[in-house]
Amino acid sequence: MFKLNLKIALRNLWKYKGYTAINVFGLSIGLASCILIFIFVRYQLSFDKDYVNGDRIYRVVTSWKYTDGNEFSSSGTPLPLPAVFRNDFSQFEKVAAIQQSGGIIKAKAQVGKAEVKDSESVFYAEPSFFEIFNYEWLSGNPNQSLSAPNTVVLSEKTANKYFGDWHKALGNSINLDASKDFKVTGVIKDNPQNSSFPLEIIFSYASFNDRNMKEWGSVSSGSECYVLLKNGVALSDLAKPLAQHLNKYENDKDAPGKVNHTFQPLEDIHHNEDYGNFAQKNTPYNQIIGLGIIGLFLLVTACINFVNLATAQAISRSKEVGVRKVMGSPRNQLIWQFLSETAIITIIALLLACVFAELTLPKMENLFGGDVSFSLFGHPIIFVFLFGLLVFVSFLAGLYPALIMSGFSPALAIKNKVAANAGGVGLRKTLVVVQFAITAILIVSTLVVIKQMSFIREKSLGFDTEAITIVDLPGDSLSQLKYNSFKEKLLAVNGIKTISFNAGAPSSGSNNETSFTYNSSKSADFQISVKSGDEEYFKTFGLTILAGKAFTKSDTTKEFVVNETLLKKLNIMKPEDAIGKIMKIWGSSGPIVGVVKDFNNYSLHEAIAPIAIFSRKTRYSTVAIKLDTKEVASAMKNIESTFNSTFPDYVYESNFLDENLKGFYETEQIMGTLFKVFASVVIFISFIGLFGLISFVATQRTKEIAIRKVLGASNLELVKMLNSSFLWMVLIANLVAWPVAYIFVSNWLSTFQYRTELNVWPFVIAMIASMGITVITVSLRSYRAAKVNTIDALKYE
Amino acid sequence: MIKIENLEKVYKTEEIETTALNGINLHVKAGEFVSIMGPSGCGKSTLLNVMGLLDKPESGSYKFIDTELLTLNDKERSNFRKRNMGFVFQNFNLIDELTVFENIELPLIYNKVPTVERKRLVNEIIGRMNIVNRSGHFPQQLSGGQQQRVAVARALVTKPKLVLADEPTGNLDSTHGNEVMELLCELNETGTTIVMVTHSSHDASFSNRIINLKDGHVISEKINKGKTEELI
Ligand SMILES: Nc1ncnc2c1ncn2[C@@H]1O[C@H](COP(=O)(O)OP(=O)(O)O)[C@@H](O)[C@H]1O
Ligand SMILES: [Mg+2]
Repeated sequence: MFKLNLKIALRNLWKYKGYTAINVFGLSIGLASCILIFIFVRYQLSFDKDYVNGDRIYRVVTSWKYTDGNEFSSSGTPLPLPAVFRNDFSQFEKVAAIQQSGGIIKAKAQVGKAEVKDSESVFYAEPSFFEIFNYEWLSGNPNQSLSAPNTVVLSEKTANKYFGDWHKALGNSINLDASKDFKVTGVIKDNPQNSSFPLEIIFSYASFNDRNMKEWGSVSSGSECYVLLKNGVALSDLAKPLAQHLNKYENDKDAPGKVNHTFQPLEDIHHNEDYGNFAQKNTPYNQIIGLGIIGLFLLVTACINFVNLATAQAISRSKEVGVRKVMGSPRNQLIWQFLSETAIITIIALLLACVFAELTLPKMENLFGGDVSFSLFGHPIIFVFLFGLLVFVSFLAGLYPALIMSGFSPALAIKNKVAANAGGVGLRKTLVVVQFAITAILIVSTLVVIKQMSFIREKSLGFDTEAITIVDLPGDSLSQLKYNSFKEKLLAVNGIKTISFNAGAPSSGSNNETSFTYNSSKSADFQISVKSGDEEYFKTFGLTILAGKAFTKSDTTKEFVVNETLLKKLNIMKPEDAIGKIMKIWGSSGPIVGVVKDFNNYSLHEAIAPIAIFSRKTRYSTVAIKLDTKEVASAMKNIESTFNSTFPDYVYESNFLDENLKGFYETEQIMGTLFKVFASVVIFISFIGLFGLISFVATQRTKEIAIRKVLGASNLELVKMLNSSFLWMVLIANLVAWPVAYIFVSNWLSTFQYRTELNVWPFVIAMIASMGITVITVSLRSYRAAKVNTIDALKYE
Repeated sequence: MIKIENLEKVYKTEEIETTALNGINLHVKAGEFVSIMGPSGCGKSTLLNVMGLLDKPESGSYKFIDTELLTLNDKERSNFRKRNMGFVFQNFNLIDELTVFENIELPLIYNKVPTVERKRLVNEIIGRMNIVNRSGHFPQQLSGGQQQRVAVARALVTKPKLVLADEPTGNLDSTHGNEVMELLCELNETGTTIVMVTHSSHDASFSNRIINLKDGHVISEKINKGKTEELI
């Protein structure tokens, strides 16, 4: 019996080749997209999941609440905190400090291997870090390898890079910043891609020194602290000891903000944008959910095609049903028969989908700039997912048609007298409306995303970004002595307009906030963002001075330039009024000599901060060079050779400012692209579904069309007639979609402090576009139906 | 009114060519009632379809009151058809999704008759056809005879000059068949020209002239004496 049913199923699919093809194609494209989304989401959710004690690992993070209502948070802790926590908290099994830093790493030339020198991101970690996080050690172990000062543990990859083979690394040493040597005492296995801990070079924490080592009031986001809770300890158990701790150590009455610490679960680190992480990869849950919704949309649209075409076909299959019933086939057997037909189509579609997905995976990897490699069957869970898809789609798409068809009355069915709307014209219309509502929502969303992204690209940030290259500078005191001669040499290079030494561009990833005083001896009740740079800073970045002037040349802090936002926060009406007032920041006081027009110092997600700019040579870490756009290439070459001759022990690294700024929106860019692609897929599926449906309707109405023609209808009138019902559905779909789309996009836009105005156009365009494509799709097909030979259509009953 | 000369129609399929009409000459005067008879497959329906501008012949001439119709383009043909011709088919060809009233109204809509006028014309013809209490029914709810009366009503509502009927009684029993034939006669008496294809000599006896076709050409023509005299 099963074999017979299978035969009938396959013959039926073959008989309606056109619809089968549309079904299978639409479904497989939808399924392929779902598979890609699944692979992506699985990857994102797999971050930091491989640690044995993962559910007991927490990061201690810090936040400040200011009296003006602002909040500020950091992934770091004060440097003395880890040791104190280890002592005072009985709830912790382990506490570990880890410090992120950077530097020039050099390994001496060896037999058969030249000297290797590179600028690297490095860490200082306590041995307990590796007791909290279980890494695979190829050689050494946490306590032996990381207890003593001047020891270092390398990842397999890095050890191979510096020593050719990691075995040779052991016992050898590497040099940091041309000053200190570190002995390699251990090698760990490479980190997987899905890790928030890109640990390649780990120095013992005992080698770490910082002037804030005893400071409670200063927090750097690179100084992180991890704790491993004892078994059975709940987060709520920590509230009391934490309050006691804050009271005892971090209760500075003079500080502008109120400090607090939070224990952030390990699994939250990859997804919480508030704090960031060492790997600088963040995928917030709402983006993952957004993709999941698109995936669901894809499935639903593809299934709707299926239901529509299957129920539309139901009438032509009524006779088969009638005969089967007369021969005694029970209803549930018929249901299974139709469901298995759907399952067969789904299996075919799934196989095709796997091929499509495999073909597009490299494209998805490109999105991540090659950082990630995806494979279709790399994780066995994909098979569970595929099976789930099969069951889900078979039931979603197959059950309703199966119920309809198996429910035909045999007497009517056998006479082919099943009413024309037996297949559920009403339901079919509803489904088309749902499908096109989804389509409209995605068109609106895609348009808004595109608009916002171009807004970001085009919005003036208040400073120049074009043809400015930022070159990293070595920060040790010896190198600082060479800054002036470096500048002299650069000024001789052709194509360089201005040069400014500074501690960061007007907008960059690193922002320093600190307390300050204005015209008083008391700290203001909010913090100020500080930028240090030399007197050329304003000219190089094209900042506009509104009142006063730029500060004069100085190596130390003597004068300040502030921005408009600061004045607003201090309730100063006229920029001129601020000139001459005395400020104190980082222990240096001096007059305000200029007010600069506001510029965006963060990404456009955030508002402009109050800012003070001043010179302080010891802080400079980069040099910004404004180039003549016509001579960029040659100038860059000369800059590099000048750098290498001036700082032979260091590694030249430069970035263009506009590229750096683009990096702020990397996640948005990736999500935006995924969004656009998958939205187009949904739109495509909807329209081939529409094409299938109109084809069916046209076939079904051939006779009616012919009669109307005999009675004098012109082709145009017939095309109009067939269009009108579909246009109504699409119109209603758009109206349904508008409020939903509005909620989606206004929510997304609200994550940007600076955003494009949300006007009616995306909605109108979505409507015009969807109705336009509907008219084209329906007209193409119905014109063919109208042209069909009238007599042939009328002759046969 | 109608002058058909040397009409030829060939159907080409993949395997064979069928000459359906092979040099037909036929004149029909205004107000005439002509029957076309002949064995199955001799080209009767084809001739009727060509006359109704539903099909295009390969060659020949077809004049309708001095207008040559075979040179018209698609749009002109459709316009000419909807203004001057009405059709009755063996299988009724009503639209199942429309009510009796709406079916009859349809050709008026395509002729752009204003709504009020449309309602009046439809109601008038429904009254004449004796189907008043059926006007809200769907075709499937009517008997074959009633359906064919609706089809005749639909053919007449635009007051066409020419009515073409292809075996109008073919699907009906004799009682219902006679009812339809009487309707056609009444119509003919009010001056409408009728060309009817039929297999039944009983039906043909209602007409003025009987034309016999075989293998795509006219083999004989017979004036129906009794009828013609009546007409005169
Ligand atoms: N669409 C068509 N394609 C091919 N041959 C056709 C077509 N319509 C009619 N014929 C052929 O043309 C001839 C005349 O058909 P028709 O006019 O329908 O005959 P009748 O109505 O006299 O029975 C027949 O041999 C028929 O097979
Ligand atoms: Mg015939």
